[in-house]
Amino acid sequence: KCPYKDNVMRFSLPFQVVELLNQAALTSTDEKLIMLKQVCILIVLKLLLDTLLVVFSIFVIRNMLVFSNFAVLFFSKSDNELLLRLVANLNMLLKDESVNVVKKAILTFTQLYKATLQWLVRSKAVSDMQDACWELVTQMKRDVLALLDSENDGVRTHAIKFTESLIITLSPRTSDSDVPKRQEGDISLDKVPRDHCYIRYDVLCEEGKTALEKLLKFMVHPAISSINLTTALGSLATIARQRPMFMSEVVQAYETLHANLPPTLAKSQVSSVRKNLKLHLVAVLKHPCSLEFQGQISTLLLDLGMPQSEITRSTPAPREQRKRPR
Amino acid sequence: MPSHPLRVAVVCSSNQNRSMEAHNILSKRGFDVRSFGTGSHVKLPGPAPDKPNVYDFKTTYEQMYNDLVRKDKELYTQNGILHMLDRNKRIKSKPERFQSCKEKFDLVITYLNSREQETLQPVHVINVDIQDNHEEATLGAFLICELCQCIQHTDDMENEIDELLQEFEDKSNRPFLHTVCFY
Repeated sequence: KCPYKDNVMRFSLPFQVVELLNQAALTSTDEKLIMLKQVCILIVLKLLLDTLLVVFSIFVIRNMLVFSNFAVLFFSKSDNELLLRLVANLNMLLKDESVNVVKKAILTFTQLYKATLQWLVRSKAVSDMQDACWELVTQMKRDVLALLDSENDGVRTHAIKFTESLIITLSPRTSDSDVPKRQEGDISLDKVPRDHCYIRYDVLCEEGKTALEKLLKFMVHPAISSINLTTALGSLATIARQRPMFMSEVVQAYETLHANLPPTLAKSQVSSVRKNLKLHLVAVLKHPCSLEFQGQISTLLLDLGMPQSEITRSTPAPREQRKRPR
Repeated sequence: MPSHPLRVAVVCSSNQNRSMEAHNILSKRGFDVRSFGTGSHVKLPGPAPDKPNVYDFKTTYEQMYNDLVRKDKELYTQNGILHMLDRNKRIKSKPERFQSCKEKFDLVITYLNSREQETLQPVHVINVDIQDNHEEATLGAFLICELCQCIQHTDDMENEIDELLQEFEDKSNRPFLHTVCFY
């Protein structure tokens, strides 16, 4: 809880306006006029603050690349109304005419989506404001996913990374998940209660799976750019390591790609893609859950020119069978 | 054109020849550039191919220079190593390891990423095939500089880099491996 929250409430503008109006109702005409003037000043101030907030949030998004910590800190100390307005402003920036602003807005939204979900899941109270906020965030999520079809290569790259993050957030973390240190505190599906009033566990789970399907479909487009393909290959490796329940889909996608590299790639781009594929296959192979797929992955790696000895070195030893309790 | 000058990192194994040559030229042309090595140690040629001079990344170019003068001034003058170290110490005091660098760049010339991703901000990585000798390093540095200038002048770097690299490949007759990593 924010230690200043009570004080903030006492001095908040709406509170002061209501206080003044209440007092004004009980006083003489002269004093009433003075109080009403004060109310006018406060309302003008509030309008000014609103404008400033818009300017401020645009400034933050345009100028800050690392938004995540800031956002979480800021929202945990602010009220619902503020969050909703910030989200609304970000929604506008996602549709900005400058590609650089759109890209930064996607980066910010990737963090903001997690922060909002975490915040709403934790808060016990239910309000229309929160409900509206979640609805807007859900709509924005759909909009960013749709940017996988953007005409701009860089925007598509950013949309792929958002999709990766979304798939990981909207699927449960298990004991087999290989979670990077910095993401240990991140929200994931397993932390969403099944009885939440407007955040539905099943719906989120389905949305995560649909996002993965979308990413896999995106990857097999015959005219995919080399950088988009490289990005998607990396995203799939991240997904397989953090959510081994999707490893089968990932290995399958790698196999399909290896057999049908996009015809539009230039010679050096093919080398780059093959190099990346090798790197990510090794990353997946090193995961303890790769056991079932080791045959498929080894074949692919041999095809990509990796010596058998090196493949063996990257293959984890089968885990000891857990002793069953008698 | 991007709103800020392109932040470039040039990387080779020992942060002595190829990356320093490019660092020298790029900084003279006004780029925001830093150079790095990725090896576990800094290696310089010695009296025989199997006897290199090995230093750690804490050793300054000045100390290496003095060490080689003491060991065999004639040999290291003749093969150009002293000249190179003299150039290097005018640029910065000692080699730097890329793995220890926390800064973020727009463009990295040669290296493989091992940093954990956090903000998902992309960085484009380009690997240019340059042999580790003085002539190739000079040619390579000019090529990289021209590439950076072209990238700096694009309206939308991420959207145009693919085509630009294809043109450079054709022009220079060298393969450019291009990938993207995320901070």
